Amino acid sequence: MRRVASIVCALVVLAACGGSTTSSTANNSGTPKKGGTLTVALESELRVLDPAESSLLVEREMYYNVYDALFTIDPSLKILPGLVTKWDTSDPKNLVFTLRQNVKFHDGTVFDASVVKFNLERGKKLPTSKRKSDLASVDTVEVKDPQTVILHLKKPDATLLSTLVDRAGMMVSPTAVQKLGKDFDVNPMGAGTGPFQFVEWKRNDHLTLTRNNAYWKSGVPYLDGVTFRAIPDVNAILSALKSGDIDVARVIAAKDVAGVKADSNFIYRNIPAIGFNGFELNSAAPPFSDPAKRRAVATALDRTSILKNIQFNIGVVGYGPIPPASWAYDPSLMPYSAKGEPDKAKALATGFSFTYKTTSDPINQQLAQLMQGQLAKAGITMNVQTEEFAALVQECQTPPHNFQACGTNWSGRIDPDGNMYAWFHTGGDTNDGQYSNSAVDGFLDDARVSPDTAKRKSDYQQAQKQIAADAPYVFLSFGVSPQISSNKVHNFTLYPDGMIRLMEVWKG
Amino acid sequence: MVPAAFLVTVAVFSIIHLTPGDPALIILGEDRTPDAVAAIHQQLGLDQPIYVQYWIWLSNVLRGDLGRSFTTHQPVEALIGQDLPASLELGLTALVWSLLVAIPLGTVAAIRRGTLVDYLATGIAVGGVSIPNFVIGIVLIFLFSVTLRIFPFGGYVPFTTDPFESLRHVLLPALALGTAGAAITMRFTRSSMIEVLNNDYIRTARAKGAGWLRVVFAHALKNALIPVVTIVGIQIGGILEGAVVTETIFTWPGVGRLAVESIFNRDYQVVQAIVLMAALSFMVANLLVDLAYAWLDPRISYA
Repeated sequence: MRRVASIVCALVVLAACGGSTTSSTANNSGTPKKGGTLTVALESELRVLDPAESSLLVEREMYYNVYDALFTIDPSLKILPGLVTKWDTSDPKNLVFTLRQNVKFHDGTVFDASVVKFNLERGKKLPTSKRKSDLASVDTVEVKDPQTVILHLKKPDATLLSTLVDRAGMMVSPTAVQKLGKDFDVNPMGAGTGPFQFVEWKRNDHLTLTRNNAYWKSGVPYLDGVTFRAIPDVNAILSALKSGDIDVARVIAAKDVAGVKADSNFIYRNIPAIGFNGFELNSAAPPFSDPAKRRAVATALDRTSILKNIQFNIGVVGYGPIPPASWAYDPSLMPYSAKGEPDKAKALATGFSFTYKTTSDPINQQLAQLMQGQLAKAGITMNVQTEEFAALVQECQTPPHNFQACGTNWSGRIDPDGNMYAWFHTGGDTNDGQYSNSAVDGFLDDARVSPDTAKRKSDYQQAQKQIAADAPYVFLSFGVSPQISSNKVHNFTLYPDGMIRLMEVWKG
Repeated sequence: MVPAAFLVTVAVFSIIHLTPGDPALIILGEDRTPDAVAAIHQQLGLDQPIYVQYWIWLSNVLRGDLGRSFTTHQPVEALIGQDLPASLELGLTALVWSLLVAIPLGTVAAIRRGTLVDYLATGIAVGGVSIPNFVIGIVLIFLFSVTLRIFPFGGYVPFTTDPFESLRHVLLPALALGTAGAAITMRFTRSSMIEVLNNDYIRTARAKGAGWLRVVFAHALKNALIPVVTIVGIQIGGILEGAVVTETIFTWPGVGRLAVESIFNRDYQVVQAIVLMAALSFMVANLLVDLAYAWLDPRISYA
C-alpha cells in the first residue's frame, strides 16, 4: 500500500498519476497572513525521520519542511542555491561550494563547512545509510574554511548537484545526532535548519512541526505549525478532506479528482511530474528475449484508452523515461501510435503468450484487464498473475528475476540520469529486465560525466529513442504533481517532484 | 499453556518467514541496490539459516527481548507499548457498549419471545452479524464525520489527556467494532435465557410466589450467562486482533494497524511479537472464563 512508493501504486492512488497541466484557481494572490496550523494527509506512515536512512517518498514530505538541503530547485527543476550560495564546478572533479552564513540549526548548532563534511561522510559511511549510492562519486570532503567546502570526486558526476537537492544533501545537526543516538531516527529534536522544527511524532497518529522563528530567510514561514497524518486509504483521505480534518492531501483516487475540482470548497490543480508509469519486460527470458515481441506489445497497446479509463485523463501518454517536466524531454518522441496499432503489432509478432504480474489493487486489476483485451486484438495472450506487494517486488526485483512482465512505476528523479541509468544501463541497480544495449550504455555513461547540458540532453534523447524502440519497459503515461487542498490554503507552489514545500504557504 | 505457547512461536515464525517477500526490498524501496540488499540481510541476520534465526529470536524472547523493528529500528516492546493503550481503549469501549446493549436486549427478547420487540431485536442482531464492520465503519464516517460533522474523522486522543475528546474520537470506531460482538452476545443471551426460563426451578420459583423481575434477574439471568461468558471471553481475547480492520479504516493508532503495516512491510520481529501477544491474551482470557464459570455456577469447581 502502502505506500512503498515505486511499484504499481502510482496508477492506483496517485491522483498524482496522470499528467495534463490542469490549473484551477491557484489561490496564490492576496496578502500573506501569519498564523494557523495546516494538516497534511500522507498515504502511508513514515518509518524514519533521518534523511540518511530514509527510503520512503512520504518521508521526504516532512524532510523538505524541516531540513534544508545544500541545493534547492524551482518549479522548472532549475538548481538554485540552498545552504550552498555559490558553487564552482569548473574543475569537474573538485567542486567548490560556498556556504550560507548565519544559519543555525533548531538546536542552536552553527551550520558551517564542518557540518557539510560530517553529513556527507555520514551518508557514505553510516552502516544503515541509504545514501551510499547517491554519494558514490564523492571521494573526500575537504573543509577549506568555515564557509567553503571542496568535494573531491572519484570521477566527474554531472548529476551530483541535483542529488544534493534531496536527502543526500539535507543537513542534520551533528550535535543532535550525537546527543540523541539511536533515538535520532524517530525523535530528531532540533536537527534541521528548515522553516519548521520537529515537535513530536506519535506513529500512526500524527507528526507535528512548529514554526522556526529564527529561520535564516526572514518573514517566513507564515504558518504556526504543520501536522502530518498518515491515512493509508485514498477514500479515507477524501473523507478527511471533506470533513475538514485535513487541509492538504498528497493523493486522492483519480476517479474523485473531477468531483474535488468541481467543488468550490477545494482546490485541485496539477503540473507534470517527474515519474513514469508502465511495466517492465524481462529481456533475458522468453518470450521477451525476442525484441520483436517486446515491440509488438508496445505497439498494440492503446495508451489513450488506458489514460482515459484508468487515470481519468489526468496526465499524458508516455513513450519513454524522460517526462515532460524534465529539461531533457523530447516532445517529438512518438515511436508508437497513442491509439495502439494491433495490425502493425501482429506483423511484428503474434500468437505468443506471457504472464503479467501485478498487485490485487482494484485499479491495477482494471489496468491489467484493459491491456489484456487490447493485446488480444493483436493475437497476444496476456495472463494476469496477482501478487501481494512484497511478493511481487521480490519476484521482479531480485535474481533470478522470475517474471516475464511486471507492473512497476517510478516516482522519478530531478536529473534524467535518475530515470535512466539504473533502469536501462547494463547491470543497472533497477534494471530488473536485464536489458543491455551498448549504444544506450555509451550515451548514459557520457551524459553522467559531461559538464555540457546541451550535450547531456542530446545523449539522453538518443538513449531514450533507442530504449523506446527496444521496449525493455513499456511506457504508458506520465503522472502529475497535484495540489489537493481546501480553498483556505494559499500560496501553494507546485513542484514536479511532488514535494509539498510549506515555507511560503499561508492559511486564509 | 507452555506447550501451546511454544507451538505458537514455531507457527508464527514459520508462517511469516515462509511468506514470499524480502524485508530488505521493502526497507530500501526505490533506493535498492544489490549491495544495499546484501548489507541489510547481514545487519538483520537474514543471511543465517532459518533455524538459527528462530533460535536467536526464541532465546531473546525468553529473556524478554522482542527485538527491534526492521523498518523503524525501534524496540518492538516500545512500538507495541506505544500502541497498546489506544487498542485497549477502543476494544474495551466496544466491549462495554456491546454488553450494555446486548444482555438487556437479549433478556427482553427472551422474555417477550414472539413479540415485536423480539423480532426487532433479532433483526438488529442478524444485521449486526451480517454487515462487516468495515461497511459499518464507512457508513458511520460518511454520516457522522463527513455529512453531519458531529464526530471527528479518525485520530486518537488519550483518555488521560482529555476524557471528553477521547470519547468523541473513540465512539465511531467503537460502534463499528462492537456491533458484531453485540449481535452475537444478544443472540446467545436470548437463546440461553429461553432455555433457562423453561426449567422447572423457574416454574417452582414462580409458583412459590416470586415476582417476575426477581425470577428473571436473580434466578434466570445468572445461569443464562454461562454460555454468554464463553462468547465474551473469546471477544476479550480477540480485542487486539479483532480491531485490525476498524483501526485501519479509522486511522486508529493501535496494535491492529501496527500489525497490518508490519505484515505488509515484512517486519518479522513486530509481526511475531504481536501474534505471540494475541495468542497469550487468548489463553489468559480462556483462563478467566473458566474461573468465571465457577463463580457463576457454584457446582463447577476446579479444586
